[in-house]
This record gives sequence, C-alpha cells and structure tokens, in this order.
Amino acid sequence: MKMKHFLAVILSALLILVSIVGCKTGGTDQTPKFPTKPIDMTILFGAGGGADVVGRKLADLASKELGQPIVANNRVGGGGSVGYQYVLNNDPDGYNIVWNSTSISVTYHQGNMPANQGYDAFRGVANITQEATSLAVRKDAPWNTIEEFLAHAKANPGQVTVANSGVGSFNQLIAAAIEQAAGVKFKHIPMDAKQSTTSLLGGQVDAIVNMAFDVIQQVQADTMKALVVVAPERLEQLKDVPTMKEKGYDLDLMMYRGIAVHKDTPDDVVKILENAFTKAANDPSFKEFAEQYGAIVDVRGAKEFDALMADNDKKVADIMEKIGIKKQ
Amino acid sequence: MLDLFIEGLSIAFTLENFIFMFFGCVLGIVFAAIPALTFSTALILLIPLTFGLTPIAAISVLLGVFAGGMTGGSISSILLGIPGTPSAAATVIDGYLLAKKGQAGKALGMAIYSSVFGGIFSLLVLILVAPQIAKVAIKFGPVELFALVVFGFSTIISLSETSIVKGILAGLFGLLLCTIGLDPVMGLQRYTFGFANLMTGVGLMPVMIGMFALPEIIDNFLQASKNRHKPPVKQKQQVKANFPSLKEMKEAFILNLQASAIGTFVGAIPGTGGPIACFMALDVAKRKNPKVGTGHIDGVIAPESANNGVTGGALIPLLTLGIPGDSATAIMLGALMIHGLVPGPLLFRDNGALVYAIFISILIINFMVLAIQFIGMKLFVKVLDIPKVNLMSMILVMAVVGSFAINLNYADIVVMFFAGLLGYFMKKFGFPIVPLILGLVLGYSIEDNFRKSLVFSDGSLGIFVTSPVSLVFLILAVLMLLAPTIRSWLNKNKAKKAI
Repeated sequence: MKMKHFLAVILSALLILVSIVGCKTGGTDQTPKFPTKPIDMTILFGAGGGADVVGRKLADLASKELGQPIVANNRVGGGGSVGYQYVLNNDPDGYNIVWNSTSISVTYHQGNMPANQGYDAFRGVANITQEATSLAVRKDAPWNTIEEFLAHAKANPGQVTVANSGVGSFNQLIAAAIEQAAGVKFKHIPMDAKQSTTSLLGGQVDAIVNMAFDVIQQVQADTMKALVVVAPERLEQLKDVPTMKEKGYDLDLMMYRGIAVHKDTPDDVVKILENAFTKAANDPSFKEFAEQYGAIVDVRGAKEFDALMADNDKKVADIMEKIGIKKQ
Repeated sequence: MLDLFIEGLSIAFTLENFIFMFFGCVLGIVFAAIPALTFSTALILLIPLTFGLTPIAAISVLLGVFAGGMTGGSISSILLGIPGTPSAAATVIDGYLLAKKGQAGKALGMAIYSSVFGGIFSLLVLILVAPQIAKVAIKFGPVELFALVVFGFSTIISLSETSIVKGILAGLFGLLLCTIGLDPVMGLQRYTFGFANLMTGVGLMPVMIGMFALPEIIDNFLQASKNRHKPPVKQKQQVKANFPSLKEMKEAFILNLQASAIGTFVGAIPGTGGPIACFMALDVAKRKNPKVGTGHIDGVIAPESANNGVTGGALIPLLTLGIPGDSATAIMLGALMIHGLVPGPLLFRDNGALVYAIFISILIINFMVLAIQFIGMKLFVKVLDIPKVNLMSMILVMAVVGSFAINLNYADIVVMFFAGLLGYFMKKFGFPIVPLILGLVLGYSIEDNFRKSLVFSDGSLGIFVTSPVSLVFLILAVLMLLAPTIRSWLNKNKAKKAI
C-alpha cells in the first residue's frame, strides 16, 4: 500500500514537472503550436455530392495555409446528427472540425440531437457559402408566374403536389414557409433532391422546391421553368426569376455552409483556423469551383458566423414551430 | 455525327486516358475482390484525383472502377463464399458451391465472360436507345418502384435453398432490421435507444461482411483446432482458370442476354441498383433451370451479367437527365461537374464529342477488365493454396477494418460481430443467409416508396392497383410467392387423375 502511495507521489511530481517544462518551451517558442498533426474534417453527407466536393476542395486549399493535411471524412446519418455528435464527443482542441450547415438547427429542433447540443454547442470558424432554393414546375405546366401558381394552389387547397426533400430537410422548410407566407396549402411529397427532379420530369408531381442549383441545370436544359427563388437577391443564372421578397413576402432564408468546432475550443486555435479558412475561401479558384456547384461564396469571420448561425436558428425554429415539427 | 465520333475517338485515344482507365479497372477489381473493401470506397478515394484530370480521364478512371468493381466482386464470392460487394451477394450461392466442387476456375472464367457480356450489352443499349429508356424509367414513381421492389422481394422463394419457410423468416428478419434508425419519411427515431450511432440504421455492408465471413471463419477455426494433431491435408483444388469454350458461351447466350437486359433496365431506374438486378436475374435462371442453387454455372452467369448490365443502365439517367441512379453514378456526376460539364440533354448538344469519347472508353474498359481479370485469375485462385487458418485470420482483420471504414463508425464493427454470430447460428439451424441480405437490401426501398405512395393517395391503398405498371408487378409477385403451392397442388391433381 505504501509503495503505491509512493509511486503515486513520484508520478504526480513527474507529471507536474513535465507540464511545467512543456509550458516553458511553449512560451519561448515563437511558432504557433497549432496544428501539429492532421486535422479531421467531418462531412455530414455522402461522398460525391456537391457539398461534399466543395468541402473537400476547401479542405485542400486550407491545408496549404495550415501546413498540415486536413482529412475529409464522411460521417453520414441521422440528418447530420451522427457527424455533429462525433465532433462534440472529441476534445475541443481544434483537430476536429465540421463542415456544418443550417442542418444543425433543423436536426436539433427536430429532436435528433441531445437537449444541450444545438447550434450553440459549436462555435463558428468561418462561414463559407450560402445556397438559395427555388420553386419550379415542368416546362409545359400551365403556370408561368408564381402568382398564377399560388392562385391555383389557393383555389385547390391540399391538391397541388409539391416535392421537396422530406421532413426536416431545408427544402421542406422553405416549401412550408412559402405555404405559410402565401396562405395556401400544398400536398408535400417527401423525395430527395434527385428524386424530386425525376418525379417532376416524370409527371408525378406539380412542382418542386429544390436547391437552386438542381433547378438551374434543368432550366438550362429547358425541361423546367423556375417560378421563384428564395434569396435576398436574384440569382445570376436565373436572372428572369423573381425572389419571394420582390413579390412582397418576408422570406429570404438561405442555407449556409461553414466550418465550426466544439464551443470550448480556445480562441487562439479558432483564430488560426479562421485565418486559414477565410484565406482559402477567398482564393479565386475556390470561388470559381464553388459556383459550379451552385453555391454563392460568402466568406464571414468567426464572430459574424456565430451571429449568422444564431439568426438562422431563430428563423428555422420559427418555421418549424409553425408547421408543428419543432420538438425542442 | 461521324465527325463527332471521330473527334470522340481522338479524345478517348490518348495515353493519359488509357493509363487512367487501366488504373481504374485494376483498382476497382482489387477493391471489389477484397471482402470488406467496396469499390464505392475506391470511388471516394479517387474524387480528389479527378480534380486535376482532363474530363475524359476523370470519367474514365471512375468508369474503370465501376466496371472493374462490378466484375471483381465475384472473385471472393466464388473463392471464399464471401461477396466482395453487395452486387455479388447473389453470386455466392452457386459460385461457392462450384468452388467447393473444385470448379472454381470454371466459375471464375464464366463470371468474367458474363460480366463483360453484360457490360457491352448495356453499352449498346446506352448508345442506341438511351433517351427512350430514360423516358420509361422516369415514369417509375414511388408507386411503381414499390411494386418493382416487392416483386424483387418475391424472388426470396428462389433463394430459400432448402426450406421456404425458413427463407421467408430470414427475409422478414432482414426487413425488420431495416426499421432501425431514422424513419425515411418523418425522420423519427426507431429502435435507436438513444444511441446516435444507430440513427444511421443497420448498414448493409457490416451485416453482409459479418454474416458471410464470420461463420466461415468460425467453422474453419473449429475445424483446425480439431485437426491440430493430424498432418495437413493438401486440398486438391483445380487452380486452373478456364475461359469458357465456344460451346459453353453458346449455351449461356440466351441467359446472358436476359440477365443483361434485366440489369440494364433495372440500372436505368433511379433508386434501384445492382443487388436488386442480380437477385431478379438469379431468379430467372432458377426458374429456367431448377438445378440453380445447388452449384450450377447458370447461378453465376445470371447475376454477373446483370450486375455489369447495371453499369451501362445507370449511365442512362445520368447522361440523359443528369439524375444519378446510384451512389457510383452520383460520384461520377460530381466528377463531370468539376469540369463544368452538366450531364443532361445539354451534354449531348454541347459536348457530343465527349459523349462519344465516354462510349468508346466504356468499350475499351470492358476489354481491359476482361484482359486484367483473365491474367489476374491465375493469381486469384492461388488464394486457395493459402492454409485456411491463415487466410481466415486475414479475413477477420479485413472484416473489422472494412466494417469500420465504410462510415468511420465504431458501431458498425459491433453490428458486424453480432451479424456474424447470428449468421453462424442461422447456418447451424439451416436458415439461409441470402434472403436476409435481400430483405436488408430492399427493406428501405419498400418502406420508403410505400409511404411516399400513401402520401400521394392520402392513405388509400388503391393507388397500387390503379397504376398499371404497379398492378402488373404486384400480380407477378403474388404468383411467384404462390408458385410452389400451386405447383404442388397441380402435381397432386395430376397424380389423382392418373389414378
């Protein structure tokens, strides 16, 4: 027993000594101590999709700034919950970052994250992009403007079928928000982004609400017409399509994507990451790349990103409350 | 048209393109052949590489992995009884029995030939009638998809080996496993017991790896410990790879054609995929030849033709509509878009030469796969010379690493071990494993499409009968399920009449 005590004392002494020595070298050394090993970047959805590829490109550029590789890992499932919780369950040392999005708010309010793990369990490093959504119909559909479409929906409550990406998806929130704003009732058909396109072209639904990018492709191919976009301003690729705002509805919520870390990550580490990621995202090659995937590059620093997340969370919570799917 | 074709030739016939095609094929075959590594993993690893390539080289390397992967999965199915990819799960039954009979070489040779047959058949369909097929394929909404998948599920009768009741039980258990995780329509948690890791659901790959690999491993270890004191027996496996003779090719021709057509069509419908096509093809083979399921070469021909048929089929909606039919084509869509090429009707108008270059590359890739496999086959069969215990130890390591690597989720390793133990006891008590895998493959689609259909119809089941496509598939499914009962009833009647 005595022997054990003795060992414990020696060991603690050694530990203290080592930590002191460690601090000293840390203090005198001028070069930053972060990062000294590869950074793990969690991507919340499957490989190959637009957001995945843009995230990987960003990681590639940022790793050059940091001098350490950033390894992108797809941790898919639970509407992002699996990946978010992975990052939160790791040490808040900045080596685990997440390519996050509005999905944190949706997943949390839907009840698929533990009670204390909302958007504010993370802190922002930098916002990178924003993505708009659009409501589109088949090219040969009888409606040419959003007014005509909404008037038809008003006259036939619950009859007009609108495909979106299912309960808890950003597209569904926007579809519901359009419904609320215009005082109409759609029949929401849960599909994923690609299935939505198929079902509209195949004539199974009347309209879709989808990320603008998926709509733009089909508009260019002359198979669909976009009636409205949800964004603060018109999109360059859909110059003739009005925004909801122009039409007098208070709806301009876009989907953000950025880099976030555990909320307890130290300031200096966040600062280093922020510098690297804002630099990478401001690189002209990144802008060109992201635009091919329909993302609008909108670089914001850590502070502003925190504010953006909070603002978006309120809007998302509000919509979810109104359509009755908010659990927490 | 001709000048586009010639321009396409000049794009396809570059050294860079050939190198990357070759690289893709080899990578696809190797990743698919090793149980627990899938060619999807290879595709993901290649994404960053495609950033820096020319568009044709980028798409070629991915197509190489896709075609190579669909072929390579049969290697471990036949040699080890463990499917290398989900699409090779249907090949296991007859392929492994053939290997046990000492005909591994013959089975491998036929698998390769059938694969390439399916690949080239689907390419022809892609070139000749892609827009027409695409038009039919997008008519498959949730209602039709549900009926198609139910029809796919009815093939369980053919897969049940000895006991239909046990087969159906295993299949239903597979369906039950699919209910774990977030539900597909409302995003509600089911049977997750608060574990975030279970929200993803029970993955197909960990279960498949566990169910096929662990029982083999346990059996071999038990065998080895029993035979510890005996001198090692030299297995006499005919480790010679035979390419099928002209006569064999002729005999297989009709089945190859049918299975390739099934693969191509099912592949063209977004939201289906390789495994469904293979099981349907196997079912056709079984109905033509009752010996399928007991180690007959037709049980290798059908699924292998079908899964490579899927490669061309899946490209139909991708190239004509910009809609990826499965995860592999989703990655290809990404690769094309990196270079500013948006698949869809515009691709044919604005980049016609590139489309031809892609077609030409697919043809070359199919012949490359044939050549690589044929040479590689002689090496692959050497696996059987490795002492079983050593081999199984390696597979155990691969199973653990592979289960983890799919989603980087520790829970998948646990799932793999549980599935393995379950598989061991199922085997012991005569429950077939393949129907369970079928249930797991189809369960999500069945539920997802069923519930989406009901959203359309406001909860009325009538929607499944009013759609003609759906009605036909559902009637076929019922007939398939009742076939054994009807047959025995007919036989009884015949016997009575004879008296």
